[in-house]
Amino acid sequence: MNATTINSNNLSWSARLHEGSVAWLRLITYFGMALGAAALAIWGMDAYSENGYLPQLLSLHGATWVIGGGIAGMLFGALTRQKQAQYARVVTGLVPWCDGIIMMVALMAVYTLFEPEAALINYEDQSNFFSGRVVMAMNVLFMFSGICYIAYLFAPERFIARMATMSAWAATYAGGSALLLRWYESYLIMGGDIGHAPVSNLYEVFILLFCIISAMYLAFERRYNAHGMGAFVMVLVAAGVFFSLWLDSIGQADIKPLVPALQSYWMKIHVPLNFVGYGAFAVACAAGMAWLTRARIEKTNPQSRMLNTFPTLDQIDQLAYKAVAVGFPAFTLATILGAAWAAEAWGGYWSWDPKETWALIVWLFYGAYLHVRISHGWNGRTLAWWAVVGFFVTLFCFVGVNMYLSGLHSYGRLV
Amino acid sequence: MTIIQSIKSFMIRLASMPLAIVILSVLALASVIGTVLLQNQSETDYLTQFGPVWYWVFQSLGLFDMYHSWWFLGLLGFLMLSLTLCLWRNVPRMLKEMRAKKVTMADHAWARLPHQDAFVIQSEDLDGSVEKLKKLLPAWSWRTQQDMPGGMVSMRGDKGAYHKAGYILVHSALLVILVGGWMSVQLGFRGNMSVPEGEVGNEITFLKDTDVQRKTMPFSVRCNSFNLEFFSTGAPKEFRSNLTIIDDGKEVLTSDIIVNEPLYYKGVRIYQASFGDGGSSLGLKLFRLDGSQVVDHAAVNVYQTYTDPKTGVSLEIQDFKAYNVQNMANPGEPKKFRDLGPAVDFVLRGPGLKPVKVRSFMNPFMQDDQNQGMFMMISLTGDNKDFEPLFIGPDFSNAKEWALFHAFNRYAQEEAGEKEAYLKAFKRALNEIYGEDRPADMQDMGLRMLQTTQMLADFPWPFIPVLDDYDQVFYTGLQLAEDPGMDVVWLGSAILVGGLCIMLYVSHRRMWVELSLRDGGISVRVAGMANRNPLAFTQAFNQDLMLLKESFAHQTQEKV
Repeated sequence: MNATTINSNNLSWSARLHEGSVAWLRLITYFGMALGAAALAIWGMDAYSENGYLPQLLSLHGATWVIGGGIAGMLFGALTRQKQAQYARVVTGLVPWCDGIIMMVALMAVYTLFEPEAALINYEDQSNFFSGRVVMAMNVLFMFSGICYIAYLFAPERFIARMATMSAWAATYAGGSALLLRWYESYLIMGGDIGHAPVSNLYEVFILLFCIISAMYLAFERRYNAHGMGAFVMVLVAAGVFFSLWLDSIGQADIKPLVPALQSYWMKIHVPLNFVGYGAFAVACAAGMAWLTRARIEKTNPQSRMLNTFPTLDQIDQLAYKAVAVGFPAFTLATILGAAWAAEAWGGYWSWDPKETWALIVWLFYGAYLHVRISHGWNGRTLAWWAVVGFFVTLFCFVGVNMYLSGLHSYGRLV
Repeated sequence: MTIIQSIKSFMIRLASMPLAIVILSVLALASVIGTVLLQNQSETDYLTQFGPVWYWVFQSLGLFDMYHSWWFLGLLGFLMLSLTLCLWRNVPRMLKEMRAKKVTMADHAWARLPHQDAFVIQSEDLDGSVEKLKKLLPAWSWRTQQDMPGGMVSMRGDKGAYHKAGYILVHSALLVILVGGWMSVQLGFRGNMSVPEGEVGNEITFLKDTDVQRKTMPFSVRCNSFNLEFFSTGAPKEFRSNLTIIDDGKEVLTSDIIVNEPLYYKGVRIYQASFGDGGSSLGLKLFRLDGSQVVDHAAVNVYQTYTDPKTGVSLEIQDFKAYNVQNMANPGEPKKFRDLGPAVDFVLRGPGLKPVKVRSFMNPFMQDDQNQGMFMMISLTGDNKDFEPLFIGPDFSNAKEWALFHAFNRYAQEEAGEKEAYLKAFKRALNEIYGEDRPADMQDMGLRMLQTTQMLADFPWPFIPVLDDYDQVFYTGLQLAEDPGMDVVWLGSAILVGGLCIMLYVSHRRMWVELSLRDGGISVRVAGMANRNPLAFTQAFNQDLMLLKESFAHQTQEKV
């Protein structure tokens, strides 16, 4: 946003779509649609059932709720048009994300044309599903993007950076739409009996995590013009890609029925929100690594051309803090909502289950980070290390607990 | 005096940030212990795992129920104390800062502000300009001070001045959550109750340390029915109990519960936690192998022991399941799930017999529509993990096979010592039982007869017990919990999230404007600062400034 936006007459059509009252109207309409979908889950059905929700959402009945919500939102948005100036920053920040989700849904709708015919679909062998191919495309794109970002460090050509960014965007859309497609596919097997949202096992949440990390980083990249950091982010993502390939190879990628404890609308809220937190911490970790690298180059070889590809130390520092500032409240809320779910399913909001305890440890770790940062004004090297170490603590909470410790969250357990 | 001073300095230290970070770190590190060391297991488990010395050490440190041990609660108490003192020390100062908005500023302070500008309005209407400025930037909350030397007017605008409330809210929210947690532990309870179908329960059990404690509820719960639903893969889909609450002898409420949808009655939540066999009545056929060709019938309930009056062999019935879904594929092949039908688990003991745990299936084992005879699983250790398949051979429930088995044994004894004794015995037995009308799977049947001979060499049982009929009764495993602290925790959580958002996202922006009459115009100087996100503030400040300049420039043109 710059000073010219005050005068709205000379805006291009795309800027007009993303700023000002049109953006406001669109955002509130999206909110209305989301609320409509949530209201369908609460009031539109006799009782919420995991395998009934998506068909209901896609039926005429569900469309009424969603479109009704959208129209209500649009009306509300039109009435409160004057408010948009006050929230302009929030609106212009949020609208592209909503557009992205709509685009993923559209992509998924296109993919459904490529699904195998009903007779060829079976539970035992799910390898012919189209989502597998899209995920593979995502894997390749992420790795390609990672290679481009690394190449960019050594050969700072605008063209390479653009390729890296483009492939990261493509991978993000592929991943997001593949997940949505898996949701649809889960209804194709066993007559829709086991249909559920694609956030139920480690493989699925890994894809979600890649997309969140990548989208969050790309948003920062656009804002700070920080292409040099991409190498660090994409190295983390590429490592994750190899892990998910391994998960696939041991049969963890199959769509499986949900255990009764997971059959709840809470799953759709608790899990993605948690991964917003994890993703943000991953970006903070990458920023920490970038800070340490840049600091080292500055010390050993201050004339290095590589320095031009990085943002300044202060900017990287700011970026790491911003990532934590996004991740921490999301993680806090996710943990609280997890407690609310536990109170409904397990008989108590807190059971000192290993996953819960590790979530607390992660929370305390980043809580301490914010303390020293905000109240003590620390920055630089210590906090860069703090962000890096923090992500490893997070990683243990997210993967390690499932692999090494048992407990109530053991449905995420590996064989 | 010195005592008071030292107490005061001690309290200041308690409220200090480094200490808070130390407490957070110690809490985090301590919490790790409890995730590595399994909590609330039975005493024998710990003793076998660690041996008596370490058991004693861990036990005295309370590590087996770590999160309720005195030192862990002490740590949490310490955190509460530190939080309280931190609030007590900082809140008055913060509130003062929030309220005190000094309108004027000294020149040296002006100099330090990062964003400044100045312009001139071609007008002498000071009050009008002040009012116009307020109208142009309505989002700022303005204060003005007019009785300044030289007729100067000072203005100060604030945006997000409440951001300091974020700190206060977050820290008090943590206190509220801790208090809520303390209330949950002190005033609440959580325990399990198993109620067989058709029966009534009102006592819950729970673990305290490693001991089992009991508590009687003020009402009773009757389990009317328990239902299990499966996916076609055999994975459980739904556990559903139909419960009736009986209070004071009256039936007050009947409702279904499933996992994720508990029942709420008088402050107590009733959860579907587990299920099991509630003492199903079973009928077993005992196929005597003593040559008498007698088939006895044993009636017994799960959790009871049947003792055979003829041989003294006892069957301790441990469990019954109506469905036993197994993956029948070899490792590495695509999964093939199949329901093997009802099965009973029992421990077979008898004079001269090695006790073994047996899972006896009601139906014969079918492979590719071929009857492979009766099927059991045997665990020599008594552990369910060690179950190995055991094929008995023939299907005794088929009268002809039962007769064939006996004929075969009879002839085998007669032919004993001869060449190819088993083959001859089998041929003679076939002739006797089937005559000319030989069964199609004759060869297979011969192998199965031999299988029994082998099996009996390992397990010389006097009879083969096979499940014949059943009347299944479940128990439903309920969890009952009362938690008066829960709502306090939710309140604290809401404050926490709200406070975090204010603390992290609201930026406190300040703008100072000084207007003074000079040379027939009004000289204006503007300065601003924000406590976070300087980039966004720079943009916003420049925008506001431009708006002011443009608007006031317009006025100038009118005048000229």
